[in-house]
Parts: sequence; C-alpha cells; structure tokens
Amino acid sequence: MSAPVTAALLAQAAPLAACLIVLLALRGRPRAAAGVAILALSVATLATGYLVAVVAAPAVHQVAQAMWLPLQTGPGLAFGVLLDPLATVMAFVVAAITLLVMIYSLGYMAGDPGFARYFGFLALFGWAMLGLVLASNLLQTLVFWELVGLASFLLIGFWFERPAAAAAARKAFIMTRVGDVGFLFGVLLLVRSQGNLTIPDLLAAVPGMSPGFLTLVAALLLMGVIGKSAQGPLFTWLPDAMEGPTPVSALLHSATMVAAGVFLVARLHELFMAAPAVMHVLLWMSIVTALASATMAMVAEDIKRVLAYSSISQLAYMLMALAAGSVTGGFFHLVTHAGFKALLFMAAGILIHRAHTNDMRAISAAGGVPRAGAIGLFAGSLALSGIIPFSGYFSKEAVLATLGGHAGTAALALAYLGAGLTAYYAFRMVFLVTRGPSEASGAPHGPEAHAAGGETAMAAPVLILSALTLLLGWIGAWLAARLEPGVPWRGALEIGAGPATALALAAGGIALAWFEYGAANAPRVSLVERVSWLRDFFANNWYVDRLYAATFVRAATALSRAARWNDRTVLDGAGDGVAAGTVGGGRALAWFQSGYVQMYVAVGVSALAALALWITS
Amino acid sequence: MTVTGMVSAASAGVALLGALGAVGFRNIFHNILCFALAMLGVAGVFLGLGADFVAVVFVLVYVGAVAIAMVYAVMLSQPLDQAPAPRRIGKIAAAVVIAATFALALWRVMRGAWWPGLGWGPAQGAAEVGRHFLTDYVLAFELVSVLLVVAMMGAVMVARRTTEGGGRW
Amino acid sequence: MTLTAYLGFALALFGIGLYGLLQRRSLVAMLIAVELMLAAVSVNVIALTRLQGRSAGMGQVVVLVLVGVAAAETAIALSLFVAIQRAAHNIDVEKLSELKR
Repeated sequence: MSAPVTAALLAQAAPLAACLIVLLALRGRPRAAAGVAILALSVATLATGYLVAVVAAPAVHQVAQAMWLPLQTGPGLAFGVLLDPLATVMAFVVAAITLLVMIYSLGYMAGDPGFARYFGFLALFGWAMLGLVLASNLLQTLVFWELVGLASFLLIGFWFERPAAAAAARKAFIMTRVGDVGFLFGVLLLVRSQGNLTIPDLLAAVPGMSPGFLTLVAALLLMGVIGKSAQGPLFTWLPDAMEGPTPVSALLHSATMVAAGVFLVARLHELFMAAPAVMHVLLWMSIVTALASATMAMVAEDIKRVLAYSSISQLAYMLMALAAGSVTGGFFHLVTHAGFKALLFMAAGILIHRAHTNDMRAISAAGGVPRAGAIGLFAGSLALSGIIPFSGYFSKEAVLATLGGHAGTAALALAYLGAGLTAYYAFRMVFLVTRGPSEASGAPHGPEAHAAGGETAMAAPVLILSALTLLLGWIGAWLAARLEPGVPWRGALEIGAGPATALALAAGGIALAWFEYGAANAPRVSLVERVSWLRDFFANNWYVDRLYAATFVRAATALSRAARWNDRTVLDGAGDGVAAGTVGGGRALAWFQSGYVQMYVAVGVSALAALALWITS
Repeated sequence: MTVTGMVSAASAGVALLGALGAVGFRNIFHNILCFALAMLGVAGVFLGLGADFVAVVFVLVYVGAVAIAMVYAVMLSQPLDQAPAPRRIGKIAAAVVIAATFALALWRVMRGAWWPGLGWGPAQGAAEVGRHFLTDYVLAFELVSVLLVVAMMGAVMVARRTTEGGGRW
Repeated sequence: MTLTAYLGFALALFGIGLYGLLQRRSLVAMLIAVELMLAAVSVNVIALTRLQGRSAGMGQVVVLVLVGVAAAETAIALSLFVAIQRAAHNIDVEKLSELKR
C-alpha cells in the first residue's frame, strides 16, 4: 500500500480504536478516556494534514479498495479510500475541528458524569465522518452516512435524562431518516444499473446514462442531502438539536455533519450537473431556506438557536453555489464556515458555561463576559457577516460571484438580501449579549468549581479559530487550483460592484443592529419583534413544525395506536384465546376424569350401547 | 297357558315389582326388603323353568344371607340419622335414558342372535347338578369353595378396626 | 312362557338394575342394583340352556358358581363399605370421588 493510502487508513483507524477502547474499557476513567480520544484525533489530524500536502491535484487521485462481502448475485460490498483534493481537504477540516472541539470539551464538559462516554461518542463520530469523506464507493458512503446519523443521535441525546434532549435526538434521527430513504433508493438505483463502481468510475459513466434516469437519481440523492443538511422541508430538527452539549453543536451541527450533505453534492457534482432540473430546484429551495432561516434567527432569544438558524442559512448558501455550478465556491464557503461557526459556538459556549443559561438577555444580565469569549464572538460574527478581511468575506464573495455568473438577477438579489440579514442577526446576537444593563463588569465571576485549566481548555481553541478567521480567507485560490484547475478564479482582492454591494449591505445590517441593541440607550427590541404576529411567525419556525405535527405526526401516532390496539387485542387476544381455549378444553376433558364412579359406568355403558346399536343397525 | 307358565309369569311380575322397589324407595331398609322380594320372584321363575335346586339356593343365599348381611352393613355404615339427600331430576333422567338405551341395544342384539333348536329340552334336577359338580365341573366346585374361604378371611381383615382408629382412605 | 318372554323379563330386570347403579348415591343401594343385574344374567343362562336340551344341567352349574362368586363379592363389598365409612365418614358415592384425601 502506498503511503497516502496508509495515512488515510490510519486517520480512520485511530478514532475507531479510540472509540472502542473508551466505550469498552475506560468508562470509569474520564481523564484516560479524554486522553485516548485526543491522542487518536491528533494522529488523524496529522495523517490528514499529510494527505493534504501530498494529494495536490485531481489528477493525482488514488483509489484503493478491497472487496469485503462478495455476493453471488449483484455487486458486493467493498470498502476503500478515495484520495483527491476534495476528500483530503475535507478530511483535514473534519479531523482538525474534531480535535479542537475535544480540547474545548475538556473544559466545557468537566465534571459531567458521562465524560468518558462523551469522548467515546465523539471518537465514534470522528471515525464515521472521516469514513464518509474518504469513502471510495456509494455503498460505503451510505454506510458511513448512517453511522454519522447514529453518532448525532447519541450526542444530541447525550443528557438523555432530559426529556427535551431525548425528544430532540429522536426528531433529528427520524427527520434525517426521511431524507435517507430517498438517498437509499438513489444509491440502490445507481448500484443496480451500474454495479458498485468507485466514485470516479461512476462519474465517468455519467455521460452514458439517460437524462430521465439521472434526474430521478439526482432527486433521490438530494432528499438525503436535504435531510442531513437541514434544508427545505426537513430543517426543523436542527434548532431542536441544540439540546445537546455546545461542543457537539459546534462540531456536528455547524461544521461537519450537516456539511456532509454539501460534501456529497460536491463529491458527485458531475452527476448532479447532468440533471439541470434538479439543480434548478435546489437553487431556489436554497434561496428560500437561506432567507427563511435568517428571519428565524432575527427573533430568536436563545443564543444557540440563532447559531443553528445561521448554520441552516449558510449551508443554503453553499448549496446555492454548488447548484449554480461552482464546486470551489461551495466548498470554500464550507471550509470557512466550519472555522467560524465552530468558533461562534465555542465562544457562545464559554458564555453559556458561565451564566448557566442559553437565553441571551439573561447572559447579558449576568455580565462579565470573558475576554476569550468576546474575542471569539466578535471575530466569528465578523466572518459570518462577510466583512473584509475575515474569511467569511472571501468565501461569500465566491458564492455571490457564482450566482451572478450563472443564476440570474432575481436569485442574486435575494442572496444579497440574505447577506444583509445575516450581518443583522449576527450583530444583534453580539450586542444583545455584550451590551446592555448588567449587574457586574470586569473579571468573570461565577462558581469556583471551574478549574483554571478548564478555562484555558475552552479559551485556547476559541483563540486559535479566531486567528484562523483572519487567515483562512486567503486559501481561495489554492483551493480553486486543486479542485477545479482550468476554471478561472477571480482574485480575492478585486473589489468590483458585487463585493462592494455586499459590504454595504453588511455594514447596513450591523448599523441597524447597533441602533436597536448596541447603542447606549438602545431599546433592545427590534422592529420585527414589535410586530407580534411577525415575531411569532418567525419564532415558531414559520409554523412548519405545527404543520408537521398536525399532519404526519398525527397520522403516524394514529397508525401506531392502531398497531398497538391490533397487537394487544387481536394478536395477544388470539394468543390468549388459544390459551384459554386450551385450558377450557382441558377442563372440559378433565370432567371425564372426575373419579366419580357412576359417571364412569354411564360413559362405558353408553359407549357399549352405541356400539351395539351401530352394529345391529 | 300351562301351570308352570302361570307360575313363571306371576313370579316374573313379582320380581319386577320388587326390583322397582329395590331401586326406587328412598329408605335403604325398604330397598333391602324389596330386594329380597325380587329374589323370591326370580326363584319362582326358576321353578317355572324347572331349575328347582337353583331356585332353592337363590332363596337360601340371597334372601337368607345376602339381604341380612346388607342389613348389618347398613347398620354399621349408613348415616341413618341424616336426612336422605335430595333427589336430582337431572340425574334420574340421565340414568333412565342410559339404561333404556342400553336395554334397547341389548334387545336388538338378542333379536339378531342365532338360536338353534327352538324346542324346550327336558328339565334336569338336583341329581344331575350334583353329578355335574362331582365329575365334569369338579374344578369349578373346588375353586368356588376356596374363593368363599378367601372372601371370608378378606372381609374380616378389611373390616377390622385398626389401632389408629380412623385409618387411611 | 315363550323364550322371548323370559329373555325380555331378564332384560327388564337388568335395565332396572342398571338404572339403580347409575342413580343411587348410597354404596349399599348400588350393590343391591348389581345383585339384580346378576340375577337377570342367571335367568338368561337358565332359560337359554333349557332350550338346548342336554345342557340344562350345565346352565344350573354355571348359575350356582355365579351365586357363589356373588356371595363372596357381596361379603367383601360390605366389609369395604364398613371400612370406607370409618375412613371417610360417609358412603355417598358422589363425595367419594378422590382416591387420596
């Protein structure tokens, strides 16, 4: 095996080994568990970093695959690795952010009784996500896709004694499952028609497939993307998934797992582009999703929910770029978003950890924001709003440029509107939390149970990522050269009409937020919130959850009630009936064994008489 | 009808009446007395059939011994101070039905049976019976004697009062 | 009387005895019924062997043996009833339906 393949396998094997060791042997030893997990992810980060350095161009891609389950009829199940710039960069992002989140969790989750279990599950997630990213064929992708969903379920419902957390985990799993059904059918259709090809071979065979077939397959695969990335009709699980610990939100529900859908579209881009109708639908669905989730973020009171809606919105931007035809645009935004969204979540987590609440006004009232938290919050929000020279500016410009080039004016205008809203809600959040009346100021106070080491563990990743927001913006050209060599890439610092408009809109959004929340005597209530029906509409996820509850949930509950009735009355009743019948029959027969002599004589005589009558008849 | 025929018929009637009383009356002593009457009737039928020795033996054994023994047994076992149990019409009806059915079945069997030589043979008296017992059927004779001795001993042992009093059932 | 009449009389006697066996509760009453049935059988044997002519004596021998056996059986049965009464304090067949107390 060549060195890159070994590195890829090592990157997957280390988290898997850590997961097994922690969950099987180290449940009672939290510090050892954390150490093992962090060590494994460090190995994975180094291995994937090496891969990024070595696999530098799409032509250098390698596929190494081994048949695991050969079948007599039809394709067997093979496992392997596919190494090309897209996969390796994504793998590195995943490994690095997982490692940072693990270090952060040393502080955030300190003292939690499930500490070891938490690190075991994080290692499981790391293995599953790396497996998904490095998978060499679609069936393998499907396997790891489901594993990632499992890890998400386990981590959202980590504090399983809380009913809200358990319900949120269930909702997340079921909703993504709905999308996964489409995904499964899409994969099966492809496998049935083409065999279980490796992904590069599959993409090479795309020109030979019929357009109708491609449209169908693309639409089905898109269902999985919609579910996993919380877009379109299947978005409502992500805000609820904030019931999980904040580091989990930082890792799964902003940077990596929900980005798996985007990654899939990028991975199979040739296939998707061969179904333009589906891409058109995706484009407009993403635009609507981006705007809708921005409105929901505008009125949220819980800091994590703001960030959750923001993730939905930014994922929609990535999908917009991919739908419009640019892999680099979408993927660049994915990488920068991973950086600054994880940063925002971790910074918010510092504040939540101090104030023991997610409510922004309560956090603000508690006062005393730690410096690392404030730095992280500001840096992340500036990146999110797309302010130069932060990373978000460059990637968002790439997205908007793609839309301008390929998607038409209406789409572009709406995307710009969304950018303005993004800046508004981001700084609404920042100003709500950091400005406003508070009881104390200066040094953070709070229960002394926080170890000093815990504070450092939480601050270090935040500061690292804050620094990265200033650096990541410059990798655009590097990414473009690797992912789509030959496609021209506009230089980062060209400020033409498009970027200027975006900056102006962002500045406008920040200014509005300042006047409403940040200034000294600001009312701390927005214009939208004053219109109560509008506020309620946005705050209740545009009533989508209620729609689902009234239709699907009611139908499913009725069906399961019917099934339960059937189980209890019909099936159990049949079983009990058979039992009762047997017992009754036995009792009836036992009547003949009464020990009652006259009965015996009567029966014997009757039988003899009957026999005699029959013989003489 | 001949004299013997009339004797047989009258005795049969008496026997049937006695049998009905033997199973019908509620007082056990009435049953025993009617039983004795029934046996007398049967003895009369035997006389009509020319089996005088058997008739005499019947009277001696059944009326003279069995009935008396039953009276003794009733004295020793029947709870005479208790009121007789109420009759259940269901049980009576069932018993009548079953007995009647069985009788009907037997009647049909007898009708279908083959009876060779439909003429009456000569009656044979006690002398003939004695000759049979001491020549052809001497084994049966001896065995019945042994049986009677064994039965006597057995009856005494079974009815003996054990030292514990109640005994196990 | 004709043979049929004798056989019919024996059948009626047997039927009455069977009724008594099935219906009476007291063990002694049941024993009486059994004796009636045996008597009916005896009548049958005497009547049928008289018909054959030379075997009338044999019929009487059979009946005498039967009487002897019936007497022995009656003796044992009655002593059993006494023992049962001592053990179970009743001789009602409807109550005596279990072998083990």
